[in-house]
Amino acid sequence: MKKEMSEPMIQTQQLTKHYGDIKAVDQLDLTVNKGEIVGFLGPNGSGKTTTLLMLMGLSLPTSGTASVGGYNVINESKAVRQIAAMLPEGAGYYDDLTARQNLRYIGQLNDIPDPEIEKRTEELLEAVKLTKWADTKIGKFSRGMKQRLGIMEVLIKRPKVAFFDEPTLGLDPKATKELRDILIKLNKEQSLTILLSSHLLYEIQQTCQKVLILRKGKLVVADTIENLSNHLAGEDRTTIEFELTKMTSDLIQKIKDIDGVTSVDKENHKLFVHTESDKSREISETITKNGSTILLMKPKEHSLEEIFLKYYTED
Amino acid sequence: MAGFMVICRKELSDHLGSKRFLLLFGLIIVLSLFSAYQGAESIRNNSAGLFINIFSGYYGGGYSFLNLMFMFGPIIGLALGFDAINRERNHGSLSVILSQPIFRDSVINGKFLAGIGALSLLAVSTIGIMSGVAIPLLGFGPGPDEIVRIVLFTLLTILYLSVWLAIGLLFSTVTKKTTTSVLMSISTWIFSVIVITIVASLIANALVSTQTPEGMFRMAPPSNNGTASFDPIDQTMMEEWQERMRTNSEISTMIQRISPAILYQEAATSIITVIRFPAMSGFTISASSGTMFRSLDAGQGMLSNWPQIVVLAVVLIVCFAASYMLFLRQEIRAGG
Repeated sequence: MKKEMSEPMIQTQQLTKHYGDIKAVDQLDLTVNKGEIVGFLGPNGSGKTTTLLMLMGLSLPTSGTASVGGYNVINESKAVRQIAAMLPEGAGYYDDLTARQNLRYIGQLNDIPDPEIEKRTEELLEAVKLTKWADTKIGKFSRGMKQRLGIMEVLIKRPKVAFFDEPTLGLDPKATKELRDILIKLNKEQSLTILLSSHLLYEIQQTCQKVLILRKGKLVVADTIENLSNHLAGEDRTTIEFELTKMTSDLIQKIKDIDGVTSVDKENHKLFVHTESDKSREISETITKNGSTILLMKPKEHSLEEIFLKYYTED
Repeated sequence: MAGFMVICRKELSDHLGSKRFLLLFGLIIVLSLFSAYQGAESIRNNSAGLFINIFSGYYGGGYSFLNLMFMFGPIIGLALGFDAINRERNHGSLSVILSQPIFRDSVINGKFLAGIGALSLLAVSTIGIMSGVAIPLLGFGPGPDEIVRIVLFTLLTILYLSVWLAIGLLFSTVTKKTTTSVLMSISTWIFSVIVITIVASLIANALVSTQTPEGMFRMAPPSNNGTASFDPIDQTMMEEWQERMRTNSEISTMIQRISPAILYQEAATSIITVIRFPAMSGFTISASSGTMFRSLDAGQGMLSNWPQIVVLAVVLIVCFAASYMLFLRQEIRAGG
């Protein structure tokens, strides 16, 4: 990763949005640097979409301010939309027009000259593998194809920053992976700054370097996935995960009896042994002595799901 | 500005290619041709007939292009406007468009202008085709005064259709669902062309009765030879009754003028209805809004109905301004 780019691309200061009595976004301060690909997480109704809409200048903040690419989202919103693109949640296209016509319309709205639109359209069709369907009316497109059209509409303006709001919603695993690959490629090759909102945590973990977690309109976490995982791990450095061929209650009891083992949890086919100090040798000896074989043994890793749930449920 | 032109062009080509518009266009052309043919027939059978009667009908009533527009004009205008905004909002394409570097008002301005463009095309081509068909049928064309009248009538018709477009656009901005806005459109249409006359006469009758006063036509006792006869009509009673009839009709007319359709009918009638009396050749009279006959040339015909035209323009501006303001204030929100 290019490290020289720590210039902020997106910055919000005390960004707040009220809908009546509901605080959709509450004094949000966040920063996304140039070239970063950032996961934007939070439970439903935590204010992710509202934040993205404000960043695009489509929704006016109740108070506070934000800038995208140096432009103020309140009074320079048109300039923001020149360099920023968004794939809104549940985006719709013109069913009576073909993919090419839909793209041309978006291109024209961006004031791109027609020959340039045609050139970019061909490139994009190639990139998202829709060339075959370029002259088919959108009405006949599957969800995944429409989503790829959405990606093209985002990219045709050659944005510096792109917002994707739940882009993988309703897509099958194959389409999801294709979309992820496209996003990673764009980020690497064109150092496009990407803010990706999704509920698919595995997706975020695979795609993003950094995550922002919102809860009730407030930012609760802004860190790299690595740091978060280490941070959680730091709290119980000494948990070891096992997968065994046989897991009898007798064996579990024997592990518990080892000096220094505080507790043992059995989850599905896995055994989590919590210790005060490093007792892995003693534990593995006990297991083999008792007629079981170790299939897997490793210090416990923390998935984003755990991180996510931890911050969601913490009140 | 670029965004506005792009949207306008796209919307216009959408209209011209849409089944909805083509169906209405086709229907209007067929009905208009029929009315032109019928008009031409009646003009040929009448030495006093004028070219312009193909639009007004010979006596200004019955099945004529004017009445066709009065009845169906609202549907055409509303059809182009009623789902302009809410369909795109529901479909999710509105947020995509607004994410582009355009000003938000370009969307509503572009849509409105494209609608006016499509409606103008419809009005001009229909009136043009009618004239083109009628000239060979009649063997003569319109005179200079009639040409001016036809042009003014065309402009008025465009204004009228655009008023309905603006009303439709307002409905599409106010309501979230297209089913709601289509129902609002249909009820407004029925109210403006049919219900309003009934309501107006009901209110007028409730305020000022038009019943003949009792005793106005009193039977005299039978005379010796057995024949019955009326007493001479009481002159003051008669005058009072006539006064009430007049007031009643004035109230009814005033109420009817809530409807843009009635305003159009009044203004258009005075622009294109010309009656020539053969006995007084060269002397033409047009029917103005009421029952009065006045001799008017095209310009005067327009002037005498200036208030109706102004009110139509005001309705157009108010409806568009309301949808404009609303659209600009409506925010794109999460989940819709």
